[in-house]
This record gives sequence, structure tokens and C-alpha cells, in this order.
Amino acid sequence: MAFDITVITGNWALFAQGAAVTLLVAATSVVVAFALAVPLALMALSRRQLLRWSAAVYLECFRNLPFIVILYIFFYGLPMLQLQLPEIATGIIALSCFASAYLSEIVRGAILSVPAGQMEAARAIGMSYIRGMWEIVAPQTLKFLIPPCTNTSISMLKETSVLSAITVGEITYQGLIVQGRTFAPFEVFLTTACLYWLMTSAFAALMGRAERSNNTTRSAPQTRRSLADQFLKIEA
Amino acid sequence: MSDILQVSGVSKCFGDVRVLDNVDFSVARGEVVCVIGPSGCGKSTLLRCINYLIEPDAGTIRVNGVYVGREPDKSGRMRRQKASALDRVRPSVGFVFQQFHLWPHLKVIDNITRGPITVRKIVRAKAEADALRLLERFGLSAKAHTYPSELSGGQKQRVAIARALAMEPDLVLFDEPTSALDPEIVGQVLVLMRELAMSGMTMVVVTHEIGFARQVADRVVFIDGGRVVEQGTPDEVIERPKNERLRLFLRSIDLSGETAVNSR
Repeated sequence: MAFDITVITGNWALFAQGAAVTLLVAATSVVVAFALAVPLALMALSRRQLLRWSAAVYLECFRNLPFIVILYIFFYGLPMLQLQLPEIATGIIALSCFASAYLSEIVRGAILSVPAGQMEAARAIGMSYIRGMWEIVAPQTLKFLIPPCTNTSISMLKETSVLSAITVGEITYQGLIVQGRTFAPFEVFLTTACLYWLMTSAFAALMGRAERSNNTTRSAPQTRRSLADQFLKIEA
Repeated sequence: MSDILQVSGVSKCFGDVRVLDNVDFSVARGEVVCVIGPSGCGKSTLLRCINYLIEPDAGTIRVNGVYVGREPDKSGRMRRQKASALDRVRPSVGFVFQQFHLWPHLKVIDNITRGPITVRKIVRAKAEADALRLLERFGLSAKAHTYPSELSGGQKQRVAIARALAMEPDLVLFDEPTSALDPEIVGQVLVLMRELAMSGMTMVVVTHEIGFARQVADRVVFIDGGRVVEQGTPDEVIERPKNERLRLFLRSIDLSGETAVNSR
């Protein structure tokens, strides 16, 4: 049996449409998940026990369940609450809630990585907690946030394939449709795989560049020359 | 009433350890007070309680007559202030940290102007002009547009002092400002602090620099075991100490000073 290239060329419009939906769902979910993760992280770090406790419950709920189960619960549960949403919206909400649990832990860790004295200096000058977080702590969390957030975002992009289970028209779902038409599963899923790979690796490359540019602007780089200078100074 | 700072009955426990035990302490306008004592005696905790970086278990703190952190309600019971009330008093108390705590993502000039702009609501152009004047006075004009990571320890601490002064505080608290510096740089910072004292700034300085205390302080306070054990003019406290623990403490500092010189 030969590789049938016409499966791809004849259905490229469906694949392209699927890729667009995947990107849209992934991008929206990353933004919504991050918007949920920041207040969750602040709650987890709060002095008030009720806030800490609520954040912990949320975290336990979403981190300890498989995504597909969460998706089904939202898909069948929201209509029971009289909320009729398009599948794609349900998918974005479920994925955002799921990922926000992981992201909130990353954000919390990044905030804790900034030395406590930074916030103390801000508070001592009379900045409020929120202003200190925004002006002083947040900019310094970037270098701790970018690498793990890249990982989580890539996981989220891949996780969108699960949305095919509730008929969201992303790549995997379109692949299943093409496969049903052509009976050529290998060609179809190889194409699907290539498309996922293209998207994730392009995103990773982008974030890698962001990470490097963020690092070099903050402090003078330790070159071999400057290291040598330091040692020579000590001996002199 | 000329007292700018009044601390009364302040106590603080960390777990089972009583770090501050019913401390009363006041500072008059323009006065320079040096606080000395063995490490772990509570002097840094006292300083951090004054601007509420640490919440004391009991006692009251007033700056210019305004309560800090806790204030009496109508029935006279002490209640914790709203965060916004605390944020309003804090700018009048400058704080200089042992480890500087400059903000590494901001240039030197922005480290100094960020407080005046965001907290005091001063226009950027004026805040920057003021900051440049401060930097010039501190001999750091050339460093205005560099990042803190490019400064030496002594320069960092001078910028940190400039940052505190830019808020135009009534009182500046110094928490061992020279303890993290190399010995040959300590002088730069102490000279600056002496100049500041001469200019009439009210200062409370926690320090191990007995020489500085002797020269600059109007009053020296010795704290031990969380209590004010002895206080008075430098002449009384340092040259003619009455308390046995104070005598021991001064002798141990003298000895360690000598060994440091000998080993060089």
C-alpha cells in the first residue's frame, strides 16, 4: 500500500480550518487560564485562611482529574445549569479551568522566587500591596515565568485535541472526518501530527527568543573577560 | 511636643522567643539615635516594627502623633488600621535596609523616582530633577541611567539612601546600613550619613559601628534581651557604661575590631 498524497491535497481546506480552530482555542484558553491563575496564586499566598483554602480546593479539583472527565462534566453540566453554550466555548472554559490550576502554581512559585526584601522596600515607601506586586514584583517574575509557562502552553495546545470528543472542529476532529471519508487513517494522522508539531515548535521558538531578550536587558552579562578581571582584582 | 517618634510598650514574640519586651522609645525632631546591642537582641525587629514591616504583638507606635499600624477606636480599644491608612503614614518614615533591596529591573533614577511618582503623586519631570540633585549630592550623577547590578555595594547603599530621602521623610530608619559592605567601602556610606545627620535629619541607626555612634549620635541606646538596658549620650554609654552586659558587649566589639585590623 502506497502513501496516498491525494488524501492531504484533496482535503487541505479542512485541515487548515482545523488548524485555525486549534490555534484560536489554544490562544484564548492560555489567556483566560492565565487571567484565572494570577488571582488564584495571590489567593494561595494570602494571609486570609478562607482565600488560601478556596484556592487549595480549586487546585485539588482541577489538578487531580483527567482533562477529558472535566470536559464531559462541563459539557453535560452547564446545560443543566440552564447555560446553553456553543461546544467551542465549553471547550475553552474547561481547558482554561484545567490549565489555570497548573499555571497558578507556576505563578505562585515565581512570586516566591522574588526576594521578600523587594516587596518590603516597596511597602516601606508606602506602596500598597497591589501596587508593589504590579510595579516591583511582577516584572521580576517574568524570568521565572517564561520557561514553565511555555511548557504548560504547549501542553494546552496539545490538550485541545481532546475537544474533538465534544465535536469542536479542531485539527483532530477534522482529521477524524477526513479519515471517515477517505479510509486512510495513516495519511490523515501523520498530517495531523505534522500540523501539531509545526504549531508547538514555532511557539517554543518564539518563547525561547522572548526568554533570551528578557534576560540580557536586566543585567550586564558575565563574560569570560569580566570574570577574569574579577579574579585578577582579588589577587592584586 | 517635639517627639517625632513615640514607641510605647512594644512587645514581639517569634514562637516562644520574646524578641521585644515592652519597649518604650522616643526620638525628638532632629535627633540622631544609634541603637546598639548583641546580634539577636531585637534591635532590627524594633526598627521593623516602627514602620510595621513586622506587626508587634502589643504596644503603640506614633510618628508625628499619627498612629502606625494600630490605632484606638472610639471606645479606646486598639484596632488594626486599614491598609490604606498604613500606606499613608509609611512615606514619612524612610527605611534603609542592610541588603539595600534596590529594584534590579529599574534604572538607578527610576529606583529613586518610582516612590515619589506613584505614592506622592509628584510629576515625573520634577521627581527626576529632584532625584538627579540627590544623586549629584551623593556623587553618583554618572550612574543615574545604569542598572543596580552595575554598582558596587557602597554605591548601592547610597542609592538606597537616596531612594529613602526622595520621599522627603520626617525620619529615616537605618537597619545596619554598613554590615553588608566591604570594610574599605563602609567609610563612604558613613560619611554620607554623617552629612545627613548634620543637615538636621532625624535618624535612628541600628549599627555595630561604635566609632560612628560616638561621633554622630546625640543618644545611644543599648538593647539586650529585647529591652532597653541603658541609654544616654555617647559619652555616658560608650565611655562610661554602667551596665555589666553593655561593658562586655563593648569589649567584645573592640576585640573583634582589633583582630580584623591585625589580620589584614
